[in-house]
Amino acid sequence: MSVIEVHDLRRVFRTSIGVLRRRVKEIVAVDGISFQIREGELFGLLGPNGAGKTTTVKMLTTLLIPTSGSARILDCDVVDQAQQIRPHIGFIFGGERGLYWRLSARDNLRYFANLYLVEPDVTRRRIPYLLELVGLADRAEEKVEGFSRGMKQRLHIARTLLHDPQILFLDEPTMGLDPVGARELRSVVRDLLAERKTILLTTHYMFEADELCQRLAVINHGKIVALDTPAGLKELVQDLSVVQMEVLGIAAERVQRLRELPFIDAVSVEPHEQKQILTIHSSLGSGAVPQVLSVLDGLRVDKVTSREPTLEDAYVRLVGGEG
Amino acid sequence: MVNTGERRRRLRSYLRTIGQVFVLQFKQTAIDGFIIFTILVQPLLIALMGLWMLRGQQDNYAVFVVIGSGMTGLWSSLLYISGSNINVERWLGTLEMLVGTPTPLAVTVIGKTLSNVVMSLVSMVLGYILAAIIFRFPLSISQPLPFLISLLLTVVAFSAFGLLIAPFFAINLQLQRWVNALEFPMYILAGFMFPIALLPSWTTPLSYALAPYWAARALHATSSGTPAPRELLLSWGMMLVFSVLYVAISGWLFRVMVRRARVDATLSLQ
Repeated sequence: MSVIEVHDLRRVFRTSIGVLRRRVKEIVAVDGISFQIREGELFGLLGPNGAGKTTTVKMLTTLLIPTSGSARILDCDVVDQAQQIRPHIGFIFGGERGLYWRLSARDNLRYFANLYLVEPDVTRRRIPYLLELVGLADRAEEKVEGFSRGMKQRLHIARTLLHDPQILFLDEPTMGLDPVGARELRSVVRDLLAERKTILLTTHYMFEADELCQRLAVINHGKIVALDTPAGLKELVQDLSVVQMEVLGIAAERVQRLRELPFIDAVSVEPHEQKQILTIHSSLGSGAVPQVLSVLDGLRVDKVTSREPTLEDAYVRLVGGEG
Repeated sequence: MVNTGERRRRLRSYLRTIGQVFVLQFKQTAIDGFIIFTILVQPLLIALMGLWMLRGQQDNYAVFVVIGSGMTGLWSSLLYISGSNINVERWLGTLEMLVGTPTPLAVTVIGKTLSNVVMSLVSMVLGYILAAIIFRFPLSISQPLPFLISLLLTVVAFSAFGLLIAPFFAINLQLQRWVNALEFPMYILAGFMFPIALLPSWTTPLSYALAPYWAARALHATSSGTPAPRELLLSWGMMLVFSVLYVAISGWLFRVMVRRARVDATLSLQ
């Protein structure tokens, strides 16, 4: 049974530019996306910055009205039946805002518990449990203004779970968390899945999506470019092999020449200490190395490795190496 | 369809929220320099000038000045603080969180407005202390019980007005630029510091259309005069009528404001 149904959802933002001669500029943030999420499923939304992930989540959490198309949560329309949906959903957006800085962690949770119509006796039991869950039990009486970014994010997670919602929208929930905190959060997400919660997760981290999500939609420039299980998305790049090289001082012009080679599917460059990691997707695999090296002639090339494609490689192929 | 048991549960929750917001607003604003100036310093300065100018006049005029200066604090608090109740939440990044919950946004704003109004009554108390102790005016409230009823209805009327202007200023942020221009006209038209009989007669209907006028009329009459019961009942009645009207209009304004913010993506600054 689908608890989230999205059909041809579109969202356009209009801004005006100029002072004396104002022009209206339209930005299509979400461009006709459709998907369904079943009860108890963990569905991932991947995409580069500005792809439309957060806009999509805000429409589904009733905070933004679509320009066209429709979305239903638990068979209620997100535009006209928002009040029926809100008791059953919880949401986190990345960032430090959304909490009352001059209140303590505990007081913030008490306040939001009331807003979510949680009974006082349930609140009294639930708040200590949630503070323990997110590792803030010993900081419960401190004001939020003294919290680090990671601590605020953890408090947001506790806030989201106060009313035990059936559906969760987690927009980059591990952003700002250290590796230990992020791992603990992923463990919490697995526990929530075991309780048959339905979760929509947006993330930048491929290994996180690969590890947690049962199905993934890759979104780019507001459109869904692929929708499948992680294994299914990796199948998209089974024809490719991935060659990685450490280079020193590669310029954009050389990267462009590599992209123009006929057997090259995608090229991405990632800085690493003093060098750059060049990742090349090619059907020739290690057979592409000689011609790649000829383009890189004159540059220092260390460590050349070849490996099987991962979900990240499928993502790079789908979004063209952006973000 | 929501059943009676669910309605009672929600009402209890809304009342708890109002109580929590009342305290939260107090904590957040009690240390804000601008707010302290608005509800304490400015009314005291007005009281000081009024008392100084009227030395040698009839003693019961001091009560008039104390009440009037206190009402200027009430009105300024409403304009500057209650008017920005929703915009402050947007700036804090909490407006999305509030709108995304099952509790209507108006419930939160009720708590904040009540807190603002009650806090601004402190200016009336301080004015009383200034007049009684420093200027040694003999101050007595001529009709204590009617005065108390008038004060309670003033809190209700001003809170209802605060509930009206919060979504009004949130719908169009440009309107907040006119806040300064709205401060003194109300002092004059509502008769806070002097009777409206001193104004041109064509302004009288304008005064009658303002709940603060009826509040000032009731408070002045019960503190320093002996009002006829019919006059007092009229003032109380008008405050109640305006309160109901403001609440009804504010309900519609909140729906418009939230819908528009969801369309224009202005629930958050990002």
